[in-house]
Amino acid sequence: MDNIKVLRAIRPSYNRNFILSRLGYKRGITGINEDFQKLLDGTVKRAESLCSLVLAYRMVGIDENTGENVRLEDGTVLSGKALSRMLSQSQRAVLMASTAGQRIMEEIRTLMDSGRASEAVIMDAAASEIADAGLDFLMEYIGTSLRRQGKALTKHRFSPGYGDFCIEQQAHFARLLEIEKLGISITETFMLVPEKSVLAVAGIVDIKTD
Amino acid sequence: MTRKEFRKYFDKGIVILDGATGTQLHKRGMPADACPEKWAAENPEALIAVQRSYVESGTHILYTFSMGGNAIKLAEYGLRSQTREINRRLAQLSREAASGKALVAGDISSCGMLLEPCGEITFEQSVESYKEQIRGLLEGGVDLFVIETMMDIQETRSALIAIRELCDLPVMVTMTFEDGMRTLMGIDPVTALVTLQSLGADAVGCNCSTGPAEMVEIIKAMKPYAKVPLIVKPNAGKPRLVDGKTVFNMDANTFCSYAEALVGAGANALGGCCGTTPEYIRKLSAIAGKLTAEKPVETTFAMVSSNRQTVFIRRDQPLTVIGERLNPTGKKILREALIRNDMDKVAQLAREQMEAGADLLDVNAGVPGLDEKKALTDMVRAVMDAVPLPLCLDSSSPEALETALRVYPGRAVINSISGEKDKMERILPIAAKYGAMFILLPIDDAGVPERAEDRIAIIQRVYEAARFYGFSKEDILVDGVVMTVAAGSNAAGETLKVLKWCSNSGFSTVIGLSNVSFGLPARENVNAAFLAMAVAGGLTSAILNPNSRQLMDIKRASDVLKARDLDAREYIRHYSAMESKSGQVQTAKKRPAVFDAVLNGMSGEIAGAVLADLDKGLSPKEIIDNSLIPAIRKVGELYEEKKYFLPQLIRGAEAMERAMEALAPYLDKEAYADIGKKGTVVMATVKGDIHDIGKNIVVLLLRNHGFEVVDLGKDVPADRIIQAAKDNNADIIGLSALMTTTMTEMPKVAGMAAKAGLKAGIMVGGAVLDREYAESFGACYAKDAYSTVKLAESLVRDMGSG
Repeated sequence: MDNIKVLRAIRPSYNRNFILSRLGYKRGITGINEDFQKLLDGTVKRAESLCSLVLAYRMVGIDENTGENVRLEDGTVLSGKALSRMLSQSQRAVLMASTAGQRIMEEIRTLMDSGRASEAVIMDAAASEIADAGLDFLMEYIGTSLRRQGKALTKHRFSPGYGDFCIEQQAHFARLLEIEKLGISITETFMLVPEKSVLAVAGIVDIKTD
Repeated sequence: MTRKEFRKYFDKGIVILDGATGTQLHKRGMPADACPEKWAAENPEALIAVQRSYVESGTHILYTFSMGGNAIKLAEYGLRSQTREINRRLAQLSREAASGKALVAGDISSCGMLLEPCGEITFEQSVESYKEQIRGLLEGGVDLFVIETMMDIQETRSALIAIRELCDLPVMVTMTFEDGMRTLMGIDPVTALVTLQSLGADAVGCNCSTGPAEMVEIIKAMKPYAKVPLIVKPNAGKPRLVDGKTVFNMDANTFCSYAEALVGAGANALGGCCGTTPEYIRKLSAIAGKLTAEKPVETTFAMVSSNRQTVFIRRDQPLTVIGERLNPTGKKILREALIRNDMDKVAQLAREQMEAGADLLDVNAGVPGLDEKKALTDMVRAVMDAVPLPLCLDSSSPEALETALRVYPGRAVINSISGEKDKMERILPIAAKYGAMFILLPIDDAGVPERAEDRIAIIQRVYEAARFYGFSKEDILVDGVVMTVAAGSNAAGETLKVLKWCSNSGFSTVIGLSNVSFGLPARENVNAAFLAMAVAGGLTSAILNPNSRQLMDIKRASDVLKARDLDAREYIRHYSAMESKSGQVQTAKKRPAVFDAVLNGMSGEIAGAVLADLDKGLSPKEIIDNSLIPAIRKVGELYEEKKYFLPQLIRGAEAMERAMEALAPYLDKEAYADIGKKGTVVMATVKGDIHDIGKNIVVLLLRNHGFEVVDLGKDVPADRIIQAAKDNNADIIGLSALMTTTMTEMPKVAGMAAKAGLKAGIMVGGAVLDREYAESFGACYAKDAYSTVKLAESLVRDMGSG
């Protein structure tokens, strides 16, 4: 297993429309007036400045893929058919973590408590999007460094909680990525704190040249 | 090869670079998990065969197979101690493959880790790692260097500085831009170009990440500012995933069909990256022979950059504003902040100046007793993190300047270099090494000349010395030297004479504006008048306080009057926006109807609207029944029709809440009894679950629609929920859970409620739930926040009728 690599102070690019989508915006149907647009823009901008993204990743070898389970080189078993399918062409995988940090969660709480729930939900959606953009950044970043080895990452990634890749498996990621060093903790019910934290795995595949 | 020879090398036509080598070596047996550099060094036949095929295909410049050969990268394979040896060998092999028919470029790329503050590698560690590699490549006999596939400008700078500190060979630099024309770390093509060409890159361009079509636009963007040749190495199209594998499948003919567009956009050298083969290069070479490249440009304006943007300082464009507030001289708060290393204050001042319209920021750490070298560097890092503006590094200490310039991730301006012998001798070489612009301060060892003629003589002397280091006029801002008019009535006039002379001689200029009024009362008036006069005299930039409204107004108006703001576009844009803002205030003052205030979520205005209705004689009940309730229902309808989305639904609820607060003192008990009595709901996020924003929104909406809500918060045990339901005689228990691991608490609560004989209906919601799961334990499923309200209404209706 490679060492864990940690990245900070990253400002990943992301599509602001995804924040709107998270909030139920329907293009061509939902209407936003000028005042509301200003509120939206200002809140998203504030969210960007309050997120202190911390990203981490680690490459691991895959010892066995049964189609239902994937056994990593250290013996950790990740369960899930869809996950196994995604990793079917991979001998190695990359585990990733992204957290937007505690500061933005405190601001969301303050907004909610002071009767500014509309700003709180916008900030909440923005923080989710930025934490996800952190993983997008990691995928691109790792993909670029793999290219010279004739390798690439799978197009998709999987996070615990999707389909049959159950949420309990966050504990494996937490251990392998030593998330406490990133300022993330995990509850007994496998929730991540700060809330806007996300863990994922992607496979490493060959680049075909002919 | 000398740098001058390299420049001439492009005179003969399009220069052809090589194509992908790694993939060719994989086909010749290089294992995927091997260290590519080590394997190639130990398998010379394979490497030479591939590289020779590129030379035979028409490659003029062959890259050594050493892009991952820096010491940090090789350490991943336990090969750090062999860095020099591996690189020397790889350079020797490339020379053998080239056989004198092609130049050999020592290939350098990323160490695979990010530099501080994003990663853990320090700038100096990166420089040292590259130096070890460069020494090996030099020993192996490379003709020039190429730094390629870079995404981080700071790492790229460290590689370029490492080369420049060891040799004077030509260096080509290419960064890798994603879709959206930025590198993954966020730098745009023009900013990369400005930073790198000023730092001494002899050619700049792009490689990898995208195919040739996307690179046409990148080259087009760079060309107007490129004083060096531009180079392009695209992938064979964009990567696609086929059968679980990534493929580059643009064929050679299609790939080469873009050559004309690339050259037309301004490319001077063409090659290939991932997915390309000698066939691609052979075809490219044949086409390129028929094309003529456009030469690099000669610019007459200054370009400075940060790690996120470029600022052009032009005499025909609006005055460039350099914010002066990050200078502790005479500023107690900043001085104290610097002493306690409070970089939050520094960041705040940077943001304030940017928002007020500054184009650049002057940064000065001159506090007696403070380690200026460290303080200036800390300030640079803090400001770079806070704002995208380029910086003016304001110090007379060569050591502080060099330390700050090393870590500054762009092209900075040095403030300043004077005609003092020591300053010229020590700071000019530093400015040249880091490619910085500088402010030329026309004073010398004899002090500040009073007469303009004497200042001009110093300007000419310093300029001559600067030319020796390769500077030209567009790399310099001449300071007119502003002295206070309180000490001599001709002071301003002499400065204006200097500015006029500079303007006629092709120099850009700057002034430290506020010096002019030192010692006078009402200084802003004098500053503003002098600014207008200086702009009239051709001033290009000014160090001033951008948070002074008066100064910025004068600046904008002067730009129009001097025809530097063509058609007053910038002026109209700025002041139209201001008028529109003040217009909004007026609109806001015009009181909305209560109904409209809820509909548009106008929390700030609704209390006034409610009081106005009361003044008109409407009763609280009438306001509620005829305005508030119909309005909040309309908001709900719009939400259901998706014409509103969640924040708008909540904004309506917030406005309703403010309205009810405003009405509260006027509600008699009888009237109030009808409101808030649709039913009582006990709400909780279940035990083990800490996500409660969804539940909080539901609480807000339920209260808005007339329910009494007892909010128990998050992570609430089942027995507490049951007890609260009993104590409050709840009509409904509302439960929220976000995760599969916590939703199992819900049936537990339902079971306990049944056992306790509670009649309350149970409604549940949360991201992972569905109707089937809810109904499996007798609960009602609430799809989203608003449907919860409707569900609650129907539950109490059913209970009433039942």
